[in-house]
Amino acid sequence: MFDHILSILIFFPALAAMMGFVVSKESIRAYGITVAAIEFVLSLVLWYAYDPAVSGMQFMEQFAIIPAFGISYLLGVDGISLFIIILAAFFTLIGIASLTETRRVKDMIITLLFLQMTMVGVFAALDAIVFYVFWELSLVPMLYIIGAWGGPLRIYASIKFFLYTFTGSLVMLVGMLFMAYFYFQATGQWSFSILEWYRLVLPVNLQLWLFAAFFLGFAIKVPMFPFHTWLPYAHGQAPTIGSVILAAILLKMGTYAFVRFSLPMFPDASVFFMVPVAVLAIIMIIYTAMVAYAQEDIKQVVAYSSISHMGVIILGTFAMNVEGISGSVFLMIGHGVVSGALFLLVGVIYDRRHTKLMSEFGGLASVMPRYATIFGIMVMASVGLPLTINFVGEFLSLLGFYSQSHIMTLLAGVAIIVGAIYMLSAFKKGFFGEVTKEENKTLKDVNKKELVALVPLVIIAVWLGVYPKPVLGPINNSVESVVQLMHEKAITPEAKAAIPNPAEPKFAQVTMAEVEVEVEGGAE
Amino acid sequence: MLEAVNVSLGDLNLSTLAPMLIAIVGALAILVIDLAKDGLHKSFYVMVSLLFLLLDFGALVDFSGFFMQNGTTLGFFNVMLMDGLAILGQLIIVGASMLFVPLALTSKRFHEYNYPEYFALFLFMIAGFQFMVATDNLILVFVGLETASLALYTLIALHNRSKSFEAAVKYFTMGALAAGFYSFGAMIFYAVSGSVEIHTIAEVMAADGYANIGYLLVGVVFMLAALGFKVSLVPFHTWTPDVYEGSSAALAGYMSIVPKIAGFIVVMRLFEFLVNSGVVWLEAVLYAAVVITMTAANIWALVQTDVKRMLAYSSISHAGFVMAAVLIGTTQANTALFLYWILFSFTNLGGFTMLWVNRQKHLLPGQSSDHPYEKFAGMIKTMPFAAVMMGLFMLSLAGIPPFGLFWGKLYMISSAVTGGYTVLALIMALNSAIAGYYYLKLIIYMFMKEPYFDGGHKFYMMNASMSLKTIIGVAAFATIFAVVAVNPLIEFIGTLVYNSGY
Repeated sequence: MFDHILSILIFFPALAAMMGFVVSKESIRAYGITVAAIEFVLSLVLWYAYDPAVSGMQFMEQFAIIPAFGISYLLGVDGISLFIIILAAFFTLIGIASLTETRRVKDMIITLLFLQMTMVGVFAALDAIVFYVFWELSLVPMLYIIGAWGGPLRIYASIKFFLYTFTGSLVMLVGMLFMAYFYFQATGQWSFSILEWYRLVLPVNLQLWLFAAFFLGFAIKVPMFPFHTWLPYAHGQAPTIGSVILAAILLKMGTYAFVRFSLPMFPDASVFFMVPVAVLAIIMIIYTAMVAYAQEDIKQVVAYSSISHMGVIILGTFAMNVEGISGSVFLMIGHGVVSGALFLLVGVIYDRRHTKLMSEFGGLASVMPRYATIFGIMVMASVGLPLTINFVGEFLSLLGFYSQSHIMTLLAGVAIIVGAIYMLSAFKKGFFGEVTKEENKTLKDVNKKELVALVPLVIIAVWLGVYPKPVLGPINNSVESVVQLMHEKAITPEAKAAIPNPAEPKFAQVTMAEVEVEVEGGAE
Repeated sequence: MLEAVNVSLGDLNLSTLAPMLIAIVGALAILVIDLAKDGLHKSFYVMVSLLFLLLDFGALVDFSGFFMQNGTTLGFFNVMLMDGLAILGQLIIVGASMLFVPLALTSKRFHEYNYPEYFALFLFMIAGFQFMVATDNLILVFVGLETASLALYTLIALHNRSKSFEAAVKYFTMGALAAGFYSFGAMIFYAVSGSVEIHTIAEVMAADGYANIGYLLVGVVFMLAALGFKVSLVPFHTWTPDVYEGSSAALAGYMSIVPKIAGFIVVMRLFEFLVNSGVVWLEAVLYAAVVITMTAANIWALVQTDVKRMLAYSSISHAGFVMAAVLIGTTQANTALFLYWILFSFTNLGGFTMLWVNRQKHLLPGQSSDHPYEKFAGMIKTMPFAAVMMGLFMLSLAGIPPFGLFWGKLYMISSAVTGGYTVLALIMALNSAIAGYYYLKLIIYMFMKEPYFDGGHKFYMMNASMSLKTIIGVAAFATIFAVVAVNPLIEFIGTLVYNSGY
């Protein structure tokens, strides 16, 4: 019954977007909400039908598109991708539901629905080329959203966003083509299937090069220091909905791809590059936290704090053990919920005052108590207060990395405290004290439309903070099999040592046939 | 007419001439009809040309079936060579021509389409290109090249504008120079090997172990200049933007596809054995030409203010990209060349047709050229559908998946990877990123800026007619759903190329 649910999830929004051209301007919002709600329900059905006891891929679909070149339409979800897909459907729904944009709203909603197709596609694809297609295609709707509805520098910001990511992805594409070529050399057949690639044990020097090629594509998307410069611009100029989707879902593509591609395909290279990547991640955490502290624009604070937390996700991913990776995947969800919510909240105040400067606010807590409460909860979630969603992810990520390096974990932990300082000080500047500006005295508190979007996010942030098991369980299960695979594939003794074998392999079939590649010296 | 293909496969194998003869007969028929009754509407001539091209295409399809069974056919004193490359090349030439002929059916009147000679010349030109690809005799290549080029110069000049005359004369003078280079090059090859047939030249060279390498290199330089002019390699590209700007958009689009594929096939025949000769110098020259063409043209395209000139530079860059296939020289690379060019044809057809439907009779105040970027500003508000179409073609040219050209790029870069050209693969990828900027620029003007010219929207689509819209629809369809066609194309092209020994 659920054989084709992934295809439906991917192409339903696209089809609906196409049909949306017919819907009249006045009704398009309702249409968008309806479509996004159906999509969200479908994604919940996916969760319902998902068997948490199985760690491998489920709901697989396959047919050959270009058999002569080994490209096939191959889909599947496991615990790692399942919740990001649900998150994407959820954020599209509340994004459209809380949309305050009035200019060309029809174009906006159709664009969002197309964007949803690409987002679900990226996380459901198990063929590298299908993955790449959705990955690149997601740039186009986002380019349009930033460029057409953004602030004064929107065109610069949108081009920067597009070109940065596009360049990185093209290098990644070359890496993919190499990977397919090595697979061809080893087996005599072309294949872009990620699952087939998992079986390939590559010599370490090749792994290093391929890791670097993929890293460039993913790191720009995340974005990791020093490739992060496009993101503050994009966030600064993008309309609220653009920032929300960008922070909540699009950035997760990069971190997700690390877990899906880099780690299992190049375990030795991942261990080799663990320290440099972790150093970059820590620079990213500390540096962007400091930059965030220096910002005067509330949206920039949220943007930089979002980058800073992405650093913790990277750190957890490169811990190479089950705790770290599970934590980082869970933190992807948590970061999506929290930073998405914070951008929505910034959008609420921007709609009222048309400014984002913190100096313009102050004492909002007495004028807008409900707004201040929700904002407060989200700030607490963002700084990782226990019993909120981010605490679980951050704790597990750092716990995982603690077994690799004490010092670096300590540094990252200190940086999280810095994170608490800037978030709380921003909250203080905005919400406490006297109401100094005349305009602020008459501000209206959050209305129903905004509450519809914000309250579910608050509920999730607290619920998953208190009881993360329904989400963490399937994630953990799938991550275990990934780590198992990495442990078995690792060639060098250092890598074997760095990647612990999960205590109880849940799988009997993990001893899959591995293919050794014979590559002559000059082939790279 | 079709029976003519199947008759007497005698000594002369005259059937090898059939495809070209169909085009020539068509051209003559148009002239005869004009003598019998003048003043016929252009739509009549378009359809007659289309019919003859269809016959031509049918004959070629027949040939490809014949080739699959019996291999290469020689004919007409072994001058004609119907191998896989020739068949593929002609299929692309005739197929693209069929798509471009209906562009004459504009809603506005254009002076050149009132002459039946226009269509006769068009068909003669196609015959010329067909001769050029269906032989490995350097003299027949030259004859075909000149027949086609002279017809093309005239077609450009028939567009009655001062810039068109300038373009035609420029193209003609540069073309004459290139023809000179070509004959020098051919002469040197003849002097060294005693033959004008490329495969004999290759055999003689290989037999004496490239003893006359000095002369050979001089010949190669001349040939590279001459053919580089045809396929617009940097630094022999200087005519391209001016000529594209001067000719009608329909013809500019045609020029970006058909003459180049004919050129590429000659380049492939000639340079494949040279690259494989093991002379490092040759490979280095070709490598440099490929990289410089891709990169320099991209950088020039960045600073253009006119969309047509931008597309001209972009087509130079695409030519450089495709030349890489000749350098790599594997079967996969040569397959990629044809795949790329077929997908490129449809996308470019769409792009130039979109310019063609926007063609104005008179420039607006403040408008510097026919198609400045400003003209397209805010198009999403005035003409949303047209803007989406144009955006689609630009995205395809930029290589955004899943649109047509992405698959060509994918296969081409993959062939560089498998051929051992890692650096080249990276250069190709990065060039695609640079190119992304100028295609994006047009999208930004269309989707994110406010309209620039007052009342400018009246000029969008002013030239559109049902046939032109159909062509745009065909191009868009082919661009969006290209992925379905890629596998059959790879298999078909791969078989033909492999069986021709490339």
